[in-house]
Amino acid sequence: MIGICLLFSVISCQKKVDYSNAITDGTYLADAQNRITEVIIHDIFSPPVAARIYSYSSLAAYEVAASTDPNYVSLLGQLNGSEKTTFTPSEEVYLPLASLAAYYYVGTSLIFSEDMMNEHRDATYAELKEKGIPEDVFEASIAFGKEVGDAIKAYYAKDNYHQSRSFPKFTVTGEIGTWEPTPPAYMEAIEPHWNKIRTFVLDSAAQFKPLAPPPFSTDPNSEFYKVAKEVYDAAVNAGTEQKEIALFWDCNPYKMNVKGHVMFAEKKITPGGHWMSIAAIASKAAGKDWKGTAETFVLTGIALNEAFISCWDEKYRSNLIRPETYINQYIDEEWVPLLQTPPFPEHTSGHSVASSAAGYTLGQLLGDEFHLVDSSEVAYGLPVREYNSFSQAYKEAAISRFYGGIHYMPAIDYGVTQGLSVGEFIWNNISTKPDRLAQSN
Amino acid sequence: MRFMKVFNYFFLFLLVSLVACDEKSEETLFELLPGDQTGIQFENSLTSTNELNILEYLYFYNGGGVAAGDINNDGLIDLYFTGNQVSNKLYLNKGDFKFEDITEQAGVTGSEGWSTGASMADVNGDGLLDIYVSQVGDYLGLQGKNKLYINQGDGTFIDLASEYGVDFVGFSTQAAFFDYDRDGDLDMYLLNHSIKSPEVFSPSKNRINPDEKGDKLFKNLASEGERGFIEVTEEAGIYSSILGFGLGVGIEDFNNDGWPDIYVSNDFTENDYLYLNQQDGTFVESLENMISNTSRYSMGNDLADLNGDGLPEIFTTDMLPEDPEIWMKSVGEDKSEVYQIKKQFGYNDQYVRNHLQVNLGNGDFSELALFSGVSASDWSWSPLIFDMDNDGLPDIHVTNGIVKRPNDLDFIQYSQEVDPNTNMDQLRRKQIDMLPSVLLPNYAFQNTGDLQFENKATTWGLDQPSYSNGSTYADLDNDGDLDLIVNNLNQPAFIYRNSTEKSGNHFLSVDLKENSLNTFGIGSKVSLFAKDKTWSQTVSNARGFQSAVSPNLVFGLGEVSQIDSIAVRWSDGNIESFPAVSANQRLTIKQGSGKSIQNEIEINSHSDDFPVIAWEHQEKTDVDEVKREYLIPRSFAAIGPALAVADINNDGLEDVYLGGAKDQAGAIFLQNSTGEFEQVQNQIFIQMAKAEDVVADFADFNRDGILDLYVGSGGNENESGNLFLFDRIYFGKGNGQFQFFPNALPPIGENTSTLAIHDLDQDGDLDIFVGAAVVSGDYGASPKSSILINQGNGQFRDATDKWLGSSTQLGMVNSAVWEDLDNDGINELVLSGDWQKIRVFKNSQNQKLEEVQIRGLENSAGWIQTLEIADINGDGLKDIFAGNLGLNSKLKASREKPLWLYHQDFDSNGQADPLIFHYMENKLVPFATRDDLIKQIPSLKKQHNSYLQYSQTSKPEDLLKNLDPANSFAVYELRSGVYFQKPDGSFQFEPLPYSGQWSPIMKSYWDPESKRLHLAGNFSGFRVDLGKNNALSVQSWSYNQGGWKKLEVASNVSNHKEIRQIAPISVAGKEYIILPTNNGSVYWMKR
Repeated sequence: MIGICLLFSVISCQKKVDYSNAITDGTYLADAQNRITEVIIHDIFSPPVAARIYSYSSLAAYEVAASTDPNYVSLLGQLNGSEKTTFTPSEEVYLPLASLAAYYYVGTSLIFSEDMMNEHRDATYAELKEKGIPEDVFEASIAFGKEVGDAIKAYYAKDNYHQSRSFPKFTVTGEIGTWEPTPPAYMEAIEPHWNKIRTFVLDSAAQFKPLAPPPFSTDPNSEFYKVAKEVYDAAVNAGTEQKEIALFWDCNPYKMNVKGHVMFAEKKITPGGHWMSIAAIASKAAGKDWKGTAETFVLTGIALNEAFISCWDEKYRSNLIRPETYINQYIDEEWVPLLQTPPFPEHTSGHSVASSAAGYTLGQLLGDEFHLVDSSEVAYGLPVREYNSFSQAYKEAAISRFYGGIHYMPAIDYGVTQGLSVGEFIWNNISTKPDRLAQSN
Repeated sequence: MRFMKVFNYFFLFLLVSLVACDEKSEETLFELLPGDQTGIQFENSLTSTNELNILEYLYFYNGGGVAAGDINNDGLIDLYFTGNQVSNKLYLNKGDFKFEDITEQAGVTGSEGWSTGASMADVNGDGLLDIYVSQVGDYLGLQGKNKLYINQGDGTFIDLASEYGVDFVGFSTQAAFFDYDRDGDLDMYLLNHSIKSPEVFSPSKNRINPDEKGDKLFKNLASEGERGFIEVTEEAGIYSSILGFGLGVGIEDFNNDGWPDIYVSNDFTENDYLYLNQQDGTFVESLENMISNTSRYSMGNDLADLNGDGLPEIFTTDMLPEDPEIWMKSVGEDKSEVYQIKKQFGYNDQYVRNHLQVNLGNGDFSELALFSGVSASDWSWSPLIFDMDNDGLPDIHVTNGIVKRPNDLDFIQYSQEVDPNTNMDQLRRKQIDMLPSVLLPNYAFQNTGDLQFENKATTWGLDQPSYSNGSTYADLDNDGDLDLIVNNLNQPAFIYRNSTEKSGNHFLSVDLKENSLNTFGIGSKVSLFAKDKTWSQTVSNARGFQSAVSPNLVFGLGEVSQIDSIAVRWSDGNIESFPAVSANQRLTIKQGSGKSIQNEIEINSHSDDFPVIAWEHQEKTDVDEVKREYLIPRSFAAIGPALAVADINNDGLEDVYLGGAKDQAGAIFLQNSTGEFEQVQNQIFIQMAKAEDVVADFADFNRDGILDLYVGSGGNENESGNLFLFDRIYFGKGNGQFQFFPNALPPIGENTSTLAIHDLDQDGDLDIFVGAAVVSGDYGASPKSSILINQGNGQFRDATDKWLGSSTQLGMVNSAVWEDLDNDGINELVLSGDWQKIRVFKNSQNQKLEEVQIRGLENSAGWIQTLEIADINGDGLKDIFAGNLGLNSKLKASREKPLWLYHQDFDSNGQADPLIFHYMENKLVPFATRDDLIKQIPSLKKQHNSYLQYSQTSKPEDLLKNLDPANSFAVYELRSGVYFQKPDGSFQFEPLPYSGQWSPIMKSYWDPESKRLHLAGNFSGFRVDLGKNNALSVQSWSYNQGGWKKLEVASNVSNHKEIRQIAPISVAGKEYIILPTNNGSVYWMKR
C-alpha cells in the first residue's frame, strides 16, 4: 500500500509537459501499418484478405480523425452496410493517439499472430509515454480508440468473411482451358467465393465486369494461342530491365521453394501491401499530417479491397488456365515462368486491377504527377524504383505480370481498365471531404 | 485407506526397482560392439559446403551402404562399407568379431568418389565374390564413376568396370545382380536416380521416354563366352526415364513361375515398378494390376516371405513419424487437391508410410502395413526382413534418420525471414542450419504371428539414436544367428552381435553351390519343410537400401529341431529335394546332389466358369465432398450399386435388379433357363436415372401377389429433401415391367443406406424402416431415418414420430435388421452405423419402438457397415455379426483408447465442424493436420504461433472449448466380429481372427444352409490421409467347435475390387453369390 501511494504521489508530482506534438505526422500510423504488413506476411494472408485487413484497420484510424474535425467527413454512413455514427471523444482524449490505438485494436483483431502486434503497440506506447502524455489522457485516448474500433469491428463482422471460411473449396473441373493448380506446390485456388464479401462502395462484385479473355483454343492460329505464345516469347527474350520490373512487383506472399525433399516458403508483401506502403511513402513526401495520412490510407485501402472483390469475381467467372499450364501443355513442356504462378485463375490480373485502382486513388488525392521514390521492397532485398507519376507506377505494376510470365496481355489491359473503373466509381461515390460530398449529393 | 495408499506406493517403488534391476541384469538380444573391439572404425562423416549441400543435391543426406560377403572363401563373411566423402572400407573377418581393414591393399577405396550402394556378386563366375560400387558422378565437382572390383583371389581387386562396360557415370543408387534370362550368368539391374525437379509433375506416360541417366539393365555375356555386359534396357521393357528417383531395387519371383522379377521403389511422384519376367528376356511393368497402393516417398525395399506361405512379400519404407509430436509438426499426406492432380497425371495411389504388400499368390497383393503395425518408423531407409530372434518368424529391421529434417513445417512456413543484408551463400547456409536435426533409434519389428509386429528396438538393444542409412545382416561369427551391420552418418557404423544362440531357438544355415557361372546360386530359392511349417528364402544380393547381403542363408526355426525335407529351386528353374537334416548346422548344398523333382507350377487363376450379367456400374461424382466438408473422413458418394434378387416373373428362376449411380439407369435382368440374364427395358428407370441408387429390395408391398421394387437413393450430393434423394417404389407387373407411383412414398429425401422390411404394426402388410447414413454436407449430424407404415395398398406414410418419438436421434445408420433377438415372437429393430453402437429397439405393447440397453453391446460402437443376425455358433440363440472398419487403418480404437468425433460448430460460422481425435501413443490428438484444422476453423491458428507449440497438444481440451457431451461420439471397437448371445440375453464379442480384419467389411451374408459367413470388403473412399483400403475383397468363414475357420473362396473377383452388395442366387441350378462392385462389373463366387 505504501508503495502504491508513493507511486501515485510521484506521478502526481510530475510537472505537466506539453504533449500536443507527440504525434503530428503519419509516421506512427505508417509504422503500425508496416507491422501489420509484417504480420500479414508471417501469417500468410492472401492478397484479397490482406486488402480487407488494411482497409478496416485504416478505416478505424480515419474515423477517429474524422470524429471532431469539420474538414473531414466520416465514411460510416457512406459505405455499404454502415450506419452514420457520431463519436464524441471526451476532453482528455488525445486524438492522434486514439487514432493509432483504433488502428492497432482493429488490425490486431484481423490477424492471427496477436503477440507480434501487441509487442509493437506496447513499444510504441512506451515511446509515446516518454513524450509526456499523462496517464489519464493515455487511458482516455485508448478507450476512445477502442470505442471507434468496436464500431468498425461490428461493421466488418457482417461482411460475410467469417461465414465464407466454411464455403466450399474450389473444385478443379478438369475441363480443357480451365484453371488447374500449378507447380511447385499445386495449391488449391484461394478465395473462390470472394465475390460474396460485402463491398464498401461498389453496388456488386460484378459491377465492373471486364472484357472476357479470347476464347480458349489450342490452334496455333488462334488468338488464344497467340497471347500465350506472346508470354512465352517475352520470357525467352526478356531483357534485364523487364526482369527487374517483374521481380520488383512480384509481391508474392507465399512463394514455395522446393529442392528435392527440402521445401520452404519465401514470403513477401502482397500487391495491396505494396500499395499501402506507397500510400505511406507518398503521404510523407506530400507532408500529410496524421489525419491526412489516415485519409490516404483508408481511401487506398478501400480501393484495393474493391479491386480485389471485382477482380476475384471475374477470376472465378472466366476460370482461365494459367500461361504456365498452357505453355507446358502446348508449347514447351519444360518452361517455367520467371515468377511463381500464384494459386488462382488467370483473368484478370489482380495486380493490374489493384494497382490501377490504388494508383488512381492516390493520383486523385495527391495529384497524379508525383515524384515517387518507391522503397517498399527494400526490406525484401529489392532495389528502390522511382516514378514520375502514380499512373507510371501502376502501369509498370500491371505489365510486370506479363514480364513475369504469369499473365496474358488481355488480363493486364482489361485489368487496368477494370481497376480504373473501380477507382473512379469509389472516388465519385464516397468522400472524405465535405465539399466533394456536397457536390456528389 | 491411507495405509493402502502407502502400501501402493511402496509396492510401486518395489516394482520400479525390480524393473530397473531387471533391465540392468538382462542381456539384450543384440549387443553393440565398440569399434576398438571389432576393428571396424568406419564412419561416414559428411561436411556440408557451399558447393555441395542438401539444397544443391537432393540426396546429400542419403548416406552410405554396406555389402556382406565372404571375399576370400574362408567361411567368414566380410564387410564392405561405402562412404560419401570418406573412403569406402573393406574389412576382412578374422573370426571372433575381429576385423582387419584391407581397403588400401585390396584397392577398393572407391577412388574418392561419392559412393552410394554396394553389392557383392560373382560376376565372372570364378567362384570369387566381386564388388560393384555405385557412385554419383560428374556433378558439382564430384567425379565419380561406378566401379566393378574384380576379385583377384589374393586379397586384391582390380576395377574393370570400363572393360566390362558398366562404368556408368551418373546418379547411381545401387546395383542388383541376378540371372534374368536364366542363361547361367549374373546380369545387372542398375538403379539410378534423377535429379530433375521432382516437384514439377509430368504426365506418367513420360516414363516410357528413356534417358541416359535412367535405370539400366545389363546382360552379362559370360555364358556366351565373352567378357562384359551389354545394355538391354529398352528391349527388355525396363523404364529409364527422368521420372525415376530409384532408391531401392530387389529381385524376387513374385508369381512363383521360377523366373526372377524386379521391384523398384521410387521416391516422389513416380510409381514404384513391379516388373514381371516374361521368360523371354523381357519384362512387363505390372504394379498397378497387382498392387492397390504404395509408399509415396518409397525408399529402400526388401522382398521376403513373412507368413510362411513360400511367397515373397514386399516391404517399402517411407517417412511417417510414429511420435505424435514429430507427426504434428511434419508434412503429412498430400492435400486432397494435390493428390487428385497426381491421379490426373496418371500416377497410382501413394501414401506417406511404409507399405507391406502381402503376396496372395494369385497375382494380387494385400497392403497391410497399418494392420501389421509397421507403417511408421519415421524417415526410413533400409528395411531388412530376417529372423532376428530365430523364433521361426521373420522380423523386420528398419534404419532411419536424416541429419536435416526438410519436412519440418515450422521450417517450411516460418523459417525464411528476409534479410536484405545476407548474400545467397550465407542465406543458403543459414537455411541449412535452420533445418532441424532429430536423432532417433532404428526400429526392430518383431513378428508375433498373424502378420502382427511390435517394435522391440529397446528390448533387443537396438535403440541407439543415430542417422542410419544402409544396413545388412550376416552371421559374422557362424553361430547360427544373424548379426546386424548399419552404416551411419557422422557416427561410427554399428556392428551388433546377435546372441540368439543363447535362447535355445534352432536354426539352419545354408550355402548353395550352383553348376553355373552363378556359382553362389543367386536367385535360387530354398524351402525347408518341418511338419506343418515351411520356410522359404531366396539367395539374393541387393536388399534394403544401398546395401547387399551375402549368399549365405540363415533360417530361424524356433523349437523345430528337425527339418523333414529341403527343396531347392535353382536359379535355372530346376528343382531338387534333399532329405531330412537336423537343425543347428551349416549346410552346403551342391546342385545335382539332390533328387530332381517335377516343377509344379500352381497358378491360382480366376478362370472358373461363372455366370455373366452384362452390366457395369458407372460411378459419377459431381460434388467433391472434401471441397464442401474439408474434414469429412470418408465419402458417401461411392456406395452403389443397389442390388435386389428375386424371382419376379414367377418362372422359378431368380432375377436381378441392379441400381445405377447418378445418370445411370437401373436395370432388371431376367434369368432364362440356361442361366443367362436378359435385360428388360423399363422406360421408367431411364427417367429416374438422375437418382443414385444405393439400396434396393423386392417385396410385395401392395399385396397383389406380385413382387414390387423399392429403390433407395443416396450419393451425398444433394441437400436433404432434394427430389433426387427421394426413394421410389415401383409396382411390379409380374413380367419384369414396373410401374412408378410418385405418391406411394412420403417425400423424405435423405441419403438412404439401408432398408429393413417387416410388418411392424402386424396388420398384414409390409412396413419399412429406411435408414439414412449422413446429412448431406454435415458429416456427424444425425440424418432422418424413417419408419414407413404401409396403408395396405403399397402407399406409405411416415410414422417415425409415432413409433420412435420425435426426439429420437438415430444417428448415422448404415445397416438395420428386423429380427427376433430374444425369441419372444416379436421382431426387434437392430441397427448401427458410423460412431454408434449396435442399438436394439423393442416393439412394445403400445405400438412404440423403445430402445433397450443390452449388456455386452455397450461398447460396440464402431464404424459398422453391415449387421447380420443369425445363430452362428449353433447354440439356439441369435448372434449379431457386425462388419466394421477392421484393423488395416490409421484409426484404431479400444475401450481404453477410444476414437472420438466432436461434432460442433466450434467457430459459430453456421457449419458444424466434425473433428476426429485419436490416440497416438498416450495422447488424444486431432486426426487432421494443423493445416487442415485451420482451414476448417481459422481461429485455431491464433492459439499457437508455431507447429512446435501446436505439437504439444495432448487432449481435445487443449484446442477446443466447451466440448458438448451430447455431440461427442466415441468408438471403442473397430474389429469385425460376432456378438454372441448368452443364455441370459447378454452378448459377448468375439472378433474375427486377424486375417478377417484386413479390410472394411461393407456387406455380409450368412448362409443358413452351409452355415458360412460371406464377407465383402474394400473401400477406397477414405480421405487421403486415411488412404484407400482395398486389401481384401471377399472372404468366407465358418464357425465350429468354438473357433473360426477361414475357407477357400472360389470367385472371379480380384482382390482390389470394391464389392458393395452380396446376395445368394441360384443360376441354372447352381448356387452362387452375386457380388456387384462399385464402378465396376458384377462378380461371382461359388456358394
